[in-house]
Amino acid sequence: MARLPLPARRRSWPVRHPGDLAMHGIAGLAAAGTILVLVLLTVQVFRQARPAISRFGAAFVWSTDWNPVTNAFGARDLIWGTAVTSLAAVLAAVPLAVAAALFLTELAPARAAAPIRTLVELLAAIPSVVLGLWGILVLGPVLAQHVEPWLGSTLGFIPLFSGAPSPAGLLPACVILTIMVVPIVAAISREVFLTVPADLKDGAYALGATRWEVVRGVVLPHSAAGLTAAVILGLGRALGEAIAVTQVIGGTAAFHASLFGPADTLASRIASQYQGAVSDIQIASIAFLAAILLVFSLVANVGAGLVVGRLQRRRLGVR
Amino acid sequence: MTRIRTWIPAVTAGAALVLALAAAACGGGPGSAAADPAGTSLNGAGSTLVYPLLSQWEPDYSSKTGATITYGAIGSGGGIAAVTSRSVDFGASDAPLTDDQRRSAGDVIQIPWALAATDVAYHVKGIGNKLKLTGPVLADIFLGKVATWDDPAIARLNPGVHLPATKITPVYRSDASGDTYVFTDYLSKISPAWKSTVGSAVQVSFPTGVGAEHNSGVAAALAGTDGTIAYLAISYVLQNSLDYALLRNAAGNYPDVRIPAISAAAATVKSIPAGGAVSLTNPPAPAADAYPMATFSYVIVPASSPKATALRKFITYAITDGQQFAAALDFAPLPEVVRRYDEQQTALIGRG
Repeated sequence: MARLPLPARRRSWPVRHPGDLAMHGIAGLAAAGTILVLVLLTVQVFRQARPAISRFGAAFVWSTDWNPVTNAFGARDLIWGTAVTSLAAVLAAVPLAVAAALFLTELAPARAAAPIRTLVELLAAIPSVVLGLWGILVLGPVLAQHVEPWLGSTLGFIPLFSGAPSPAGLLPACVILTIMVVPIVAAISREVFLTVPADLKDGAYALGATRWEVVRGVVLPHSAAGLTAAVILGLGRALGEAIAVTQVIGGTAAFHASLFGPADTLASRIASQYQGAVSDIQIASIAFLAAILLVFSLVANVGAGLVVGRLQRRRLGVR
Repeated sequence: MTRIRTWIPAVTAGAALVLALAAAACGGGPGSAAADPAGTSLNGAGSTLVYPLLSQWEPDYSSKTGATITYGAIGSGGGIAAVTSRSVDFGASDAPLTDDQRRSAGDVIQIPWALAATDVAYHVKGIGNKLKLTGPVLADIFLGKVATWDDPAIARLNPGVHLPATKITPVYRSDASGDTYVFTDYLSKISPAWKSTVGSAVQVSFPTGVGAEHNSGVAAALAGTDGTIAYLAISYVLQNSLDYALLRNAAGNYPDVRIPAISAAAATVKSIPAGGAVSLTNPPAPAADAYPMATFSYVIVPASSPKATALRKFITYAITDGQQFAAALDFAPLPEVVRRYDEQQTALIGRG
């Protein structure tokens, strides 16, 4: 798409046609509204968090306490939980999703591709609370009874895979998040692969390239920027998911280095404790968690923007 | 042009739908002035424990008085938050207000209006119903000091019961819960180690075990895993036929967790402290048949509100006529001294 000559720049301000004027107004308002919401939200979160920020300061980020009785609060274990679950989910989901998208765009016969695509997208439509319920009733017990003992006996020398199996913990949360991230990344990847110009692929085939060589040499490089965006959207989903994670992670204040043990994430702690917070400082601490989560998401998004921009420039520069 | 013609009707229809939904939501929603010209209808939110009772009160009260009661079972913490922000007419909570909560809630009246209990339920293959436990052993289980079901501490209390060597997995509520409050309040009274390391509140920092959301999440965790033990509202345990433990009371007895044992615990209340919060856990030894984890559930109302008259009327109904539904739902009737206190407090609504 980006190889095409840019369309003629839109007519510059002032706009003469009334229809144009209306469109400018509406679109401009919508854009301003989005920014306003983001700013207000950020201000509100930080305002609510202020008592905790002034009481705990930066130490909040690496303190491990979370005790509503003694009013000692810290975020380290929750940051760990968020990092482990989101990264594991993205690492597991991206290869699956990209492979599924490649299958749909490059390999599958058209008649099979349409229903498979619908089913993959349907996966995204499952409400997270339903996935969480399945996690409690089916996934958690199966993992605890069959998968975790086996992982423990084969990979137990790694701290991540040591310890006693538990029906709720990081591992089921990672699996649930993976299931949530796959359809998002797959749907976007598919759209990105569809934008690869057919003449490029045809050219490669004409030169005698195999399917794999076309995928590796043409499709993937052409799609790098879009794929990065897809990964970041998936990561955003994993970072922010609260309900399903709360249901399966076994929200705990105790720290376990193992994937098997119960843990908690920033989003899930906010979801499970905000309403029932017993003290003002607890409410402020939960808002502090929200602020940290907000910063995480912001950094991920800005970072993605930089990566996408660089990839775009590099690709355009090469040609 | 054709494309524009096709989307205009679609957009119009969509907009009309949204408007209609919004109108419906406003018109039928809680707090709408148009739907309630006389100001007799009430909105409440909070405790899930007391919800079965309210779901009986709603139609009965409405047929007797014509006033509508709308109640959202969003959890005790949510109920306190809702009445603090005055977005409901009354809040319901199984745990009394904390100091901070009372401060931010402003001038509110807290009235015990239902009497129930928290059970200790478990799921262990090979152990039947009504295992005997004591408070200290329960504390040690949830502290992680008693880690298997065949631990001598449990075996001593249950001679003749074959106990498997299954690992004990404590399950607790990860959200704020009145049951957590009752459970930790009891353990704090009975175990100095619990009091100093964990303490009591609607949310505490459990040293071991796994958390689950709401009664339903805890019950699902119980069902899914062998060796689990948890605390749950009595009605939830009885209606789902979960195995539950008998707890030794101060008199050394193991009363069955039923209404008579709850009433026996409530009978130890001789007076209600200012503020209305009454702890029933670990009642003194003279109450030979008292269950040690009984609890009041509270209704929390603003001391002054435009709906004061309606609130007085409804709460009066709840603590008198409304109690007839209690027994069938595993609630015990309010003791006389509490009912008298409640009447006094109810009379203060809108006049403080």
